[in-house]
Amino acid sequence: MSEISQVPSDDVICQNVRKVYGTGKAIFQAIRSVSFSVKQGEFVSILGPSGCGKSTLLMMIAGLEGITSGRIQVGGRPIVKPRTEIGIMFQDPTLLPWKSALDNVLFPIDMMRRPRRQYRERAIELLRMTGLGGSEKKKPRQLSGGMRQRVSICRVLVSDPRVLLMDEPFSALDAITRDEMNVVLLDIWQRYRKTAVFVTHSIREAVLLSDRVLVMGGSPSTVISDIAVPFPRPRDFALGETAEFNQLCALLRDQVQHAHVEGGKAVAPAPNALNSGAF
Amino acid sequence: MDDKTAVAQSIPTDAPPEPLPNETALRHVYAALPVVLPLLTAVLALIAWEIAVKAAGVNPTILPPPSAIMTRLVEAYPLILQHAIYTGTETIMAFAISVPLGILLAVAMSYSRFINWALYPNLIFFQLIPKIALAPLFIVWLGIGAPSRVSFSVFICFFPVMIATAAGLQSVDRDLLKLCRSVLATNMQIMFHVRLPYSMPYIFSGMKVSVTMAIIGIVVGEFIASQAGLGYLILFASSRQQTDFSLACIAVLCILGLALYGMVEIGEMLMRRWYGN
Repeated sequence: MSEISQVPSDDVICQNVRKVYGTGKAIFQAIRSVSFSVKQGEFVSILGPSGCGKSTLLMMIAGLEGITSGRIQVGGRPIVKPRTEIGIMFQDPTLLPWKSALDNVLFPIDMMRRPRRQYRERAIELLRMTGLGGSEKKKPRQLSGGMRQRVSICRVLVSDPRVLLMDEPFSALDAITRDEMNVVLLDIWQRYRKTAVFVTHSIREAVLLSDRVLVMGGSPSTVISDIAVPFPRPRDFALGETAEFNQLCALLRDQVQHAHVEGGKAVAPAPNALNSGAF
Repeated sequence: MDDKTAVAQSIPTDAPPEPLPNETALRHVYAALPVVLPLLTAVLALIAWEIAVKAAGVNPTILPPPSAIMTRLVEAYPLILQHAIYTGTETIMAFAISVPLGILLAVAMSYSRFINWALYPNLIFFQLIPKIALAPLFIVWLGIGAPSRVSFSVFICFFPVMIATAAGLQSVDRDLLKLCRSVLATNMQIMFHVRLPYSMPYIFSGMKVSVTMAIIGIVVGEFIASQAGLGYLILFASSRQQTDFSLACIAVLCILGLALYGMVEIGEMLMRRWYGN
């Protein structure tokens, strides 16, 4: 594919990121040390048991949560506060109930005080691409859970951010809708090729969507493995039926269990060590 | 809904004609029960009142029968209406001041934690005062005119709006606020585009409590000092032992209260349609 020819620069860099909550005796170390980088246009998933600090890490990359020590850079500049070039998505669609689907998609544009007119067409196009053509005027209540999360995908993309951060965006959906949403995200990501960091509990979801999967674990946590997903793109849902896919899932399941059981003793491997020559 | 399903069922199963009309009729009766039953209870209570008072030969000065109150109401209708307009206008004024005041205070307290620390405990403390006890002082401060009654009523009824709004402003989803910060929304934008609209259902439930209190405030004010209004009329009639007249005024007061409450309910309905809930 053509994107291999251009030398991708690192869009997101985390170096020895540590997060400690509280002070004195009430101190709680959430993240011991996390280092990794995400290339431009790369889709990286973070897998790990609940409470391992995945979401905290994502919020730190978004500039919504302070870093205790270490460094995070996005687009070559250290993160000190939120930036419009970083878009985030949450587990809940977090739509405004009184706004139509279209107005919800345009909400970031309104907040950024950019002219609506320039983004209206794009917003309508995004809704159409995610299968919501004709639903522009509907309010969130009139939409199903999956449709609401589609609106929230459109909303994060409308301002054309450089980096997408997604915090378990589909984990509140039922299994069938979730599969559907994976396909929607896969299609839309393959079209826009945004740099993406995707936090999830689902191994299959991570493998289907990602170029690399990071496994976090331990308490306080670190990245305990960094595994490349070598399947060519464009991918579709049929990939999930192949033996290679399921082998990789089994390997990851092993890693996640390891993270759960022995995570406390885990040592952070060199970033990208397992990733060399993946593409 | 019940009606529709009843109709839908009656069309395909038209073949056995006997049980169906009955069933449909029963469904209609059942659907009407929530409206019919309370009215029936009220009518029965009034009839029981009428019979009991007449059978026991109660002195009408102590308790007149409903029929006597009704007669009096019809007779004195123009006078009572004239006074009801005073009470109604002042109530609406008090309500119209207390709603923005309550919202404004809640917004200010949610906007700055310093304002919150400075005001909130004091406002709670004020709430603990039996506020009726302060009514005579409002007369001392502001005279016997409408301003003192309206101020007293505002003093009583801004609080539910303020508390409800404050709760609404705090109810906004945490992730939604993170999203707002991630798109660099200012605090002002978050307040007017997210927090306040989000609080509308809360604000309306506060307004429903507030509107009933607004009437109480005005009537208490009228009891203490006034030359017009239903409160004044009730006190005047009571002092002359015209119990039927007093009760006729109270009946109009009930209707007034119901009408104002209904207006808030209609507003809430329109708000819910906009809110999409």
